[in-house]
Amino acid sequence: MSTVDDTAAHGAGLAAAGLERRGLRLGDTLFRGVAVAAAAASTFLLGWIAFKVLDLAWPSIEHFGLSFVWTEAWDPVTEQFGALTFVYGTALTSLIALVIAVPVSIGIALFLTEIAPRRLAAPIATLVELLAAIPSVVLGLWGILVFGPWVAQHLEPFLQDHFGFLPIFSGSPSQAGILPAALVLTIMIVPITSAICRELFLRVPRDLTDGALALGSTRWEAIRGVTLTYAAPGIAAAVLLGLGRAFGEAIAVTQVIGGGNSINVSWFATGDTLASRIASQYQGATSQLQAGSILYLAAILMAISLVTNVAAQLIVRRFEKARRAA
Amino acid sequence: MKKALVAALGVAALVAIALVGGRAAAAPAAKTDTAITGTGSSFVFPLVSKWIPEVAKAYGINLTYSPTGSGAGIAGVTARTVDFGASDAPLSADQLAACKGCVVIPWALSATSIPYNVPGLSGRLRLDGPTLASIYLGKITSWNAPAIKKLNPRLDLPSLKITPVFRSDSSGTTYNFTEYLSSVSGEFKSKVGNNTSVNFPTGVGARGSSGVAGVVSKTEGALTYVDVAYSLTNHFTFAAVKNRAGGYALPGLRGIKQAVSKLPKKVTALSQLKIVDPPKGAGKQAYPISTFTYVIAPTNTKSAGDVRKLVYWAVTQGQKFGPPLFFEPLPVTVQAFAYREIKKIQGV
Repeated sequence: MSTVDDTAAHGAGLAAAGLERRGLRLGDTLFRGVAVAAAAASTFLLGWIAFKVLDLAWPSIEHFGLSFVWTEAWDPVTEQFGALTFVYGTALTSLIALVIAVPVSIGIALFLTEIAPRRLAAPIATLVELLAAIPSVVLGLWGILVFGPWVAQHLEPFLQDHFGFLPIFSGSPSQAGILPAALVLTIMIVPITSAICRELFLRVPRDLTDGALALGSTRWEAIRGVTLTYAAPGIAAAVLLGLGRAFGEAIAVTQVIGGGNSINVSWFATGDTLASRIASQYQGATSQLQAGSILYLAAILMAISLVTNVAAQLIVRRFEKARRAA
Repeated sequence: MKKALVAALGVAALVAIALVGGRAAAAPAAKTDTAITGTGSSFVFPLVSKWIPEVAKAYGINLTYSPTGSGAGIAGVTARTVDFGASDAPLSADQLAACKGCVVIPWALSATSIPYNVPGLSGRLRLDGPTLASIYLGKITSWNAPAIKKLNPRLDLPSLKITPVFRSDSSGTTYNFTEYLSSVSGEFKSKVGNNTSVNFPTGVGARGSSGVAGVVSKTEGALTYVDVAYSLTNHFTFAAVKNRAGGYALPGLRGIKQAVSKLPKKVTALSQLKIVDPPKGAGKQAYPISTFTYVIAPTNTKSAGDVRKLVYWAVTQGQKFGPPLFFEPLPVTVQAFAYREIKKIQGV
C-alpha cells in the first residue's frame, strides 16, 4: 500500500489515472486469486479427507465388502464387524430428536416473534441460544448424572404405563439407551433450529401478515397461512441442519446411549450411533481390521451426511419453486 | 519488556548454576531440564502423579502425563505424539507391529475391583468367578438368584434386577476383567472372550471409569468393574471375590501380593505375567483380578535416553510410592524382567 502511495507522490512523470487503474487491477487479480485458492482448497480438502478415510478403511472394505453396511455385528474378539446397529441407532435417535425438536423450535420462535413482549423476547432468545453453547461433553455428564436417572425413574415408567402396548416402550427402564440419547440430542438441536426459525419469521414481510389480519383472519390463521408458508423452505433447511448436528454428535451420545452392539425394538434398550462408536473405540482398536471397520463407519457417516445435505438443497429449491408458482 | 526478559533469564541461569554447583560445573544449564510427555492409562495416573516431582528432583526430568485411557496411550505412542504411552493391557500383535520398535515394560501392579449398588445390605457382598461370568452373560439377572444367595447366606438379598455395567470405550480394565472371566468360565471365553473391548451380550455401556461409576451410583442393582484406586477414592463398596484356595479376597495390598506369589522364578516374556485367577498355592487372600500395568516406550527416538532413565527409576525407586495408592511394589522377578527390557531402549 505505502509503496504505491510513495511512488505516486514521487513519480511525477506517471499519469496518476493509469496508476490508479493498475492498482485496481492488482487488487482485482489479488482478490480473484485469494477467492479461487480458498474455493479450491476447501474442495481439495474435502476430497482429500474422503480419500484418506476410504484409504484407511480399505482393510475392512476389502474384507467385508458392501454387506458390512447391513450386517449386525461388532465383536473385536472374533473380528466380526458390521454397521447395521449403528446406522439404525443413528437414524432412530436423530429421527426421534427431530420429531420432538421441530415443533418445539417453531413454537419457541413463534412465541418470541409473535407473542412475547419485546422486553421479554430478547433475554429468552439469548437464553435459548446459550443452550447451544454448552459443551456436549458437559451435556453428556449431565445426561449420566441427572437426566438419565430421571428418564429411567419417571419418564420411561410413565410411557410404559400408558403406552406399554407399543413394543417400542417394552422392556425395563434404563438410564442409558436410545431414548435418553435421543432426548439429549433434542436439547442440542433446539437452540439451532429455533434461532434459525426466529430469523425466518422476523423476515416475513409485515404487510403480508397485516393484510391477512385486515382480511379478517385470526392470529393463528395468519401465522399458518402467511408466516409458516412464507418461511417453509427455510424451516426445511433448518430441520436438515439440525439433522446434520444429530448425525454427527459423538461425545454426548456416547455418554448416554449405553454402547449396545445389537438392535432392539425397545427404545429403552441400549444401542449406539455411528459417530458415538467411532469416538469410543477408534483409539483403542486392537486389530487392523477393527481400526479399518471404524473408518468404514466414518465413510458411511460421511455418505449419509452428504445425502442429507443434497436432499436439503433439493427440498429448498422445490419449496421455492412452489412458492413462486403460488 | 526485553530488559525484563534478559533479567529473568539471567536470574534463571544463576539459579541453575548455583543448583548444579561444583558437581557438574561444566555442564550447560539447559541439560538439567528435559521435558518428557506421556499419555494413556488412567489406572496408573495417581501413581505417576506422585512420580512427577520425584523424577524432577532426581534427574531434572520435567514429566507431563495425561490420563486419556489405555487405548489413547497406545495410539499416542504409535503416532509418536508423546514420548511414551501407558496401557493396562499388553499390546496385541497388530498394535505392537504398528508401534514399530516399541518395548512393553511392566511398571506397576494393582487390581480391578467389583463395585455394586445394592441398597440395604448388612455386609459385604461375596462373589465368585462363575457367578460373575453368568451375570455378564445375562444368565443371572436378579440379586436374589440362588447362585448369589448360596455365596451370601447371611445377606438379605433383595429381588432386584442386576444391571451389569461395562466400559463402552476401549479399556485396559475391560481387558483385565474379561481375562479373568475367560479363565474361570469356558462359556464366557467362547461367547465373549478377552480384549480391551468385547461384545457383552447384556448390560449397559458407559465411557471411562467416571462414566461407569456415574451409572452405577445412579442405578440401584448395578454392578461394574473399575480399578481399586478409583473405587476407594470414590467410596464405593466392592465385592470380595472367591479365589482358587476357597478364600474371599479383597483387592488390597495383601491380596495383590499373594496373587503374584506364584510367578515363575525367571520371567522371560510378557505372557508369563498373567496373574488373574492365581493357583491354589498363592494363598487364601490372593485377589483373583489383579493386573500389571505397562509402559510402552519407543526404542528409537531422540528422547529414548530420558525415557530409559524415567522407566528405570519408576520400576525401582518409584515403587515405594505405590502402597498408599493401592499399588503393590513389583516383585523382584518382574523387576529383573523389566531391567532386561529397559536395556532395549537405546535411542538414536
